[in-house]
Amino acid sequence: MTQGTTQQTRSEPLPETVIDCSELTTRDINQALRDHAAAGTEAVTLLNPAGRHNLAVGLASPMRIAIQGPVGYYCGGLSDGITLDIEGNCGWSVGENLMSGQICVKGSASANAAATARGGTICVLGNAGPRAGISLKGATLIVRGNAGPSSAFMMQQGRLIICGDAGENLGDSIYDGEIFVGGRVASLGADARFEPMTDSDWTMLTSTLAPFDIAAQEYDFKKIVCAKELYHFKAREFSKWKDAY
Amino acid sequence: MTDPVLYTSSTFTPQVIDAIQTRAELGRYHIRGFGALRNLPRLDDLVFLTASLTRLPLEGYREKCDTKTVLGTRYAKRPMELEIPITIAGMSFGALSCNAKVALGQAATWLGTSTTTGDGGMLPAEREASSKLVYQCLPSRYGFDPRDLRQADAVEIVVGQGAKPGGGGLLLGQKVNQVVAGMRTLPEGVDQRSPCRHPDWIGPDDLKIKIEELREATNWEIPIYVKMGATRVKDDVKLAVKAGADVIVLDGMEGGTAATQSIFQEHVGIPTLPAIVQAVEALKESNVYGEVQLLVSGGIRSGPDVAKALALGADAVSIGTSSLIAMGCNKPIYVEDYRALGTEPYHCHHCHTGRCPVGIATQDEELMARLPVEEAATHVANYLQAMVMETQSIARACGKSNVHNLEREDLVALTLEASAMAKLPLAGTDFIMGIGHQPGH
Ligand SMILES: Cc1cc2nc3c(=O)[nH]c(=O)nc-3n(C[C@H](O)[C@H](O)[C@H](O)COP(=O)(O)O)c2cc1C
Ligand code: SF4
Repeated sequence: MTQGTTQQTRSEPLPETVIDCSELTTRDINQALRDHAAAGTEAVTLLNPAGRHNLAVGLASPMRIAIQGPVGYYCGGLSDGITLDIEGNCGWSVGENLMSGQICVKGSASANAAATARGGTICVLGNAGPRAGISLKGATLIVRGNAGPSSAFMMQQGRLIICGDAGENLGDSIYDGEIFVGGRVASLGADARFEPMTDSDWTMLTSTLAPFDIAAQEYDFKKIVCAKELYHFKAREFSKWKDAY
Repeated sequence: MTDPVLYTSSTFTPQVIDAIQTRAELGRYHIRGFGALRNLPRLDDLVFLTASLTRLPLEGYREKCDTKTVLGTRYAKRPMELEIPITIAGMSFGALSCNAKVALGQAATWLGTSTTTGDGGMLPAEREASSKLVYQCLPSRYGFDPRDLRQADAVEIVVGQGAKPGGGGLLLGQKVNQVVAGMRTLPEGVDQRSPCRHPDWIGPDDLKIKIEELREATNWEIPIYVKMGATRVKDDVKLAVKAGADVIVLDGMEGGTAATQSIFQEHVGIPTLPAIVQAVEALKESNVYGEVQLLVSGGIRSGPDVAKALALGADAVSIGTSSLIAMGCNKPIYVEDYRALGTEPYHCHHCHTGRCPVGIATQDEELMARLPVEEAATHVANYLQAMVMETQSIARACGKSNVHNLEREDLVALTLEASAMAKLPLAGTDFIMGIGHQPGH
């Protein structure tokens, strides 16, 4: 058993386990999480993360993890099926390439939240920095506050829901997927366009936001999708292409 | 009447005229496959000083010449152990047909070497065919899947490629069929433009954290390579080393691609020859030469190319274009189909069209059927084997019982520019261009 974790055996998984990060290396912490996952532990709490990078990465089990404090880059990155609560702010690329599961950041997230995430849900209850949902490939990213510029850049599939304001160049070079913004949109990027909201959009927003205690109806959501004008190069449309190709 | 004397402009050559008129038609830059077409200073400009009286050659039939190559000894628990110093470079499924990918994997497996995925993810059939598979982590992250990552024998973070350093990927709509679109999470038939920067990190300080993430996700078991196109090689190699790379993959401007702007292929980056020299210097200055391995690519075609790269200090080479040529690229068969593309065998660089006459760079079922996997794999394996034998022949003739013992001292330069770039004496002299006379050389 990895140093610093409470004692546990494979035959008797404890319902909750606490790992104090302060004396451990990142390797030790992640290995301890892996060991707990293998032992069938249902929930683990990490204490004193102190902004450390790469916590809870590459995990592939349905374990619940609560991190009590701020984390650095890539928290929960490359994971599949975890339920992760971060009681603090997080650095770049939280939930990067997530395959499935749920990550909830109680504070704010820095740049590239949910970068290239393919499945699952990432919810940031504070604000998100630039490029939130960059290259999103199927996951849902919810930002209760505002999101920075170039969010959903080159988004391919999935949903970006920003309850607050969106920075400049929203959805630039988007291929597919849906963006919803409850506040103001500073500007749209190349090939992104507004589309009228439908009843099914409101139904989806209501059910997607409810688990995070966000009432969709309190926001004036607007929908943004791909205009599909950059799908194929057209010589006559140079003004569109000069910055895009 | 006598034939008129034709004058050709050196400024507006037929190729330049064609390039201008192509742009006038398209309204955009020209996109094509292959690497630089122009002449470049290359490894051909170096020759070996093999044994005579000052050195003893090894006997080909009796004396062994080892080719074992180990990559990724710095941090990985399971370094990549190869039987030969030649690997197959990353070429995407999407750019290449499934048959081509499987044939490359099969050939690499027979020879005990590695092959590499590409932009578009890991094809299950490729994983099955390849005993050692390097998994690329590219800016696009098309199909990137932690489950595939855990099945990989190494990870290669692609910062850039020699054919287009600083540029992103392109795959024209005709190749984005249902399967390719599905693997890449893209709309079918779209002209795919992929980013040149990674979505989750930007500079070398971030790269260090990215590398740690990949190591944590793979339990520090497999090596992490960092691939770069050759531009500011010395600084870039030092930064990649500092970020924690196990292996530097350096791709010179000759390096092939399935599609990019031809201006990149011809005008961007530096050739493989000076790139190797600068990379070795950077590794030495960082005190990691021998600890961080150097894998070079870009225009490697033969045993002599391999031997020269090793003698200059590389640990191994990687091949793209020549492996495709071994399986039939540019072969004079299906000539009418080359003509339909506006080209001829030996001149084709039309991988971007998706209409590859020999079934390699296509997603068209009918064309792909022209490439039987077993035969293609045999040709690639034979070619690899021949290159290894050539490399060994040169090493033995230099008196070396291990191809990795080839050294700079075995080489001289044929041209002043190669002398300057390789910092080797001009053949028959003790003069190194840029350094001066070095008595004793
Ligand atoms: C058809 C084709 C597809 C390629 N696809 C990729 C790719 O997906 N990722 C990558 O890093 N490099 C790609 N490359 C570049 C190769 O990995 C390698 O750098 C190059 O081929 C080496 O030069 P050479 O072709 O002269 O051997 C591709 C090259 C070719 C010819
Ligand atoms: S023959 Fe096929 S693989 Fe070779 S250059 Fe032409 S299209 Fe590309």
